[in-house]
Amino acid sequence: MADEPALLEELHRLRARVPQLTGALAASVDGLVLAHDTPGVEPEGLAALTAAALGVAIRTTDATGRGELRELLLRGHLGYVATYAAGAHAVLTLLAQDRVNVGRLHLEGRRAGARIGELVDAAALAPARPAVRPAPRTRTARTAASPAAGPTTTTTPRGTTPRTTTES
Amino acid sequence: MANTETALKEALASIEGATGAALVDYTSGMALGTIGGSKTFDLNVAAAGNTDVIRAKIRTMEHLGLKAEIEDILITLTDQYHLIRLLTGRGGNGLFLYLVLDAKRANLAMARHQLKRIEESLEV
Repeated sequence: MADEPALLEELHRLRARVPQLTGALAASVDGLVLAHDTPGVEPEGLAALTAAALGVAIRTTDATGRGELRELLLRGHLGYVATYAAGAHAVLTLLAQDRVNVGRLHLEGRRAGARIGELVDAAALAPARPAVRPAPRTRTARTAASPAAGPTTTTTPRGTTPRTTTES
Repeated sequence: MANTETALKEALASIEGATGAALVDYTSGMALGTIGGSKTFDLNVAAAGNTDVIRAKIRTMEHLGLKAEIEDILITLTDQYHLIRLLTGRGGNGLFLYLVLDAKRANLAMARHQLKRIEESLEV
């Protein structure tokens, strides 16, 4: 749905800026590959697993009143898997070696996630609509349709519910 | 013995010309604590970037076969000094203190001496 060459360029740029990255993948929140640069890793499988992990992560942040999911960091013996929110419809998943500078990984991952989000949202929505945040009504509909929906799907009551409970 | 927060506060308050300080883990590049800085000077960016500086220096020293340890690193800008001091002992391994100084107001020798003292009393 989005401009794939532009997404790929973003992924390549990211891998050039963080040399310890071993792979980068832009995927839709429901697990479809949008663009990938993941040598040695099967992108379709990674996108599907990312969507599954997101489903749990979003429910966890929601259940604990942490708001919208921004990122998900996994660390294995040999490295990291980091997933960053990228607008309303996409996520960015990065694979990195264990010796990566996590501070830099976060900085670059967040920036790239925001840019990819702009690209994907701009392609997915009507051209007149601002790319960052679609109307809450759309999100409610998406949540109802798909339990593993994106990083911003659970935010319809955003701010109001937790805030009133803590204040009262 | 001071904890991270008091050590950073002390660095900013007692070192003349200090405008920001951070305690950073250079195994991950993430800051354990920051103080000062500004909207245009993000100490978390500085933490990640200076982690690369330290890693590069450590690698270079390995290539040169140097066995010594880095005590501190001074970076001189036209209007700022950046002081990096690596922590030693007491579980401070892999951490460094990062101090930003206004070059016009700072006394470099004194700042270095005070940062050493703060580092010695810091308990992480």
